[in-house]
Amino acid sequence: MGEAAGELARPPAARRVLAVASRLGRVGLGVVFLAAGLLKAFDPAEFAHQMSGYGLVGPGIAAVAAPLLIAFETTLGAALLVGFSTRATSAVAAGLLVAFIGLEAWGLAKGRTESCGCFGAYVQRTPGQVIAEDLLFVVLAALSFRGTRPRPRDPSSPPLRPSRAAVSVIAVAALSLAFALASPSLPIDALVTGLSVGRSLSGLGIEGKVPAEGRHLVALLDLADPGAPAVAERLNALAGRAGAPAILVLTPSSEEEKAAFLWSAVPAFEIRTVDRTVLKRLYRRLPRFFVVDGGRVVSILDGAPPGPEDLISLGAS
Amino acid sequence: MRTRRLLPQPRRLALAALLAAVGFAVALPARADAIRCRPMWDFSIEVDGSYPKEALFYQSDSRGKYFIDIPACKSGLLLDLFAKKIVAVPRTLVSRVDGGLQVNDGASTGATAYAYSLDGGIIQFQAEDKKVRVVPALQRPPLTGQVSFDDLLADRAEYREGMKLYRPDADAVAVIGKFAKPIEIEAFFATWCPHCKEYMPKFLRVMQDAKNPRIKLTLVGVPKGFSETPGPWKEHNVTGIPTIIVMIDGKEINRMGAGPGPGPEMELAETLKALR
Repeated sequence: MGEAAGELARPPAARRVLAVASRLGRVGLGVVFLAAGLLKAFDPAEFAHQMSGYGLVGPGIAAVAAPLLIAFETTLGAALLVGFSTRATSAVAAGLLVAFIGLEAWGLAKGRTESCGCFGAYVQRTPGQVIAEDLLFVVLAALSFRGTRPRPRDPSSPPLRPSRAAVSVIAVAALSLAFALASPSLPIDALVTGLSVGRSLSGLGIEGKVPAEGRHLVALLDLADPGAPAVAERLNALAGRAGAPAILVLTPSSEEEKAAFLWSAVPAFEIRTVDRTVLKRLYRRLPRFFVVDGGRVVSILDGAPPGPEDLISLGAS
Repeated sequence: MRTRRLLPQPRRLALAALLAAVGFAVALPARADAIRCRPMWDFSIEVDGSYPKEALFYQSDSRGKYFIDIPACKSGLLLDLFAKKIVAVPRTLVSRVDGGLQVNDGASTGATAYAYSLDGGIIQFQAEDKKVRVVPALQRPPLTGQVSFDDLLADRAEYREGMKLYRPDADAVAVIGKFAKPIEIEAFFATWCPHCKEYMPKFLRVMQDAKNPRIKLTLVGVPKGFSETPGPWKEHNVTGIPTIIVMIDGKEINRMGAGPGPGPEMELAETLKALR
């Protein structure tokens, strides 16, 4: 009653400002959640990796939870944008943000310095930046919540039917979940990763790791992957073929994994370790292959290791 | 005085040709089995629990073959991954060439061989009377606490060799070298950390080249799990490694090394330029 009286006492101009601020807060927060969900959906495996990096859930649970959380965030963003149950969605968004802040603060206290993965694998920020950003989003959520008052329902009005907004939100939920699940198999690596034909080694962040002179087949490979020995076998065969370019493997694997791989796979090619944060910009799934000539990417070969004929023909072109 | 001809001219020529052919045939396999080896600093050699500075691991140009040089052993040791054994190579068959070695393993047939076992990335075997392990450099027991520049380089070949390879920007080094105020630098790093293995040799090379007597450098090795272990890293709120804390007049002016960026000399020079 007191609050309602206060609302009535507020001058119309102040009410208008609050209404505009509230709408801006709601739309802004909606865009943030929608963007966060969609960016993560491009690489759900990486999001799962980042989730398990906090140590609260194992890789198995993270792999299942990642697409669900992505769909949830996207749906929440869409609901805020279309103004569906604004108070409830604002409250849920604020709760989620507070949980994220708590998680980041806990990670920071534990000495965690890695990026949170809040906006996918390709936006890197420190935990401190993430906390500041999330606090700002909480303010947006509060504005969105504050500016919307529940309207009492007229008992004489016809029974509730699903609104257009509700249908849109359900559709977004279904589509975002489907996209998050299908995304790893979609041929969107060229759009999502930083690896593209014509880019220089410095642009890729791997200058000094791949020689700028001559032609090289570069393989991005996780040496601990169970499929890595089979890839090595094909690359070994390739290395022995006349006309094939020099082969170089870049790996985010640890030195221990590299050593174990050296002794077991007996590679006929050189392996160089690259910081995972640098290498991650170049792939969604491993292995990935590309050809570098004179310090620039001239060809990208996704999928299985290229056959000798493919490479030799590339060398001739 | 006339010399007596032992053989007529054609026979002498035939004999010379025969001797040359035999010599060539003897020399050919040795030449074909000679492998070139270059030091591989990613691995350390542990001998009876310690890491002798002179014991080195070499990568060869022959696939699956690595050479282990332990001065305390009578023979060199050739690791053959395909044959799954380590063969003793007499030192007379090993020669130094271009900063590496040439190993003639053609004559090693019938030589003493040792079996080895694998434990993850570690190779272990018994050669002569010594227990030997080939350990990835980052897996060695870490150096923790304060360590001097010289002791660090004496202990860690990967840092020593990484320094030799780095070419810092001369202008930036000159700025650091000529800085007039006293600078205190505390460098927190870990010998088990791959990023430190890349960064620290560059930073140490810059310190060496700058030759600024007003720089007081303190090197502190941090243990694994340092965020939960008491030590000077806690007092300085070090959350990532390497962290290079630059202080002037006891006041912290910059932290370097924790993220990607320009070479250490560039970052430090920019910091010092801003103070002028």
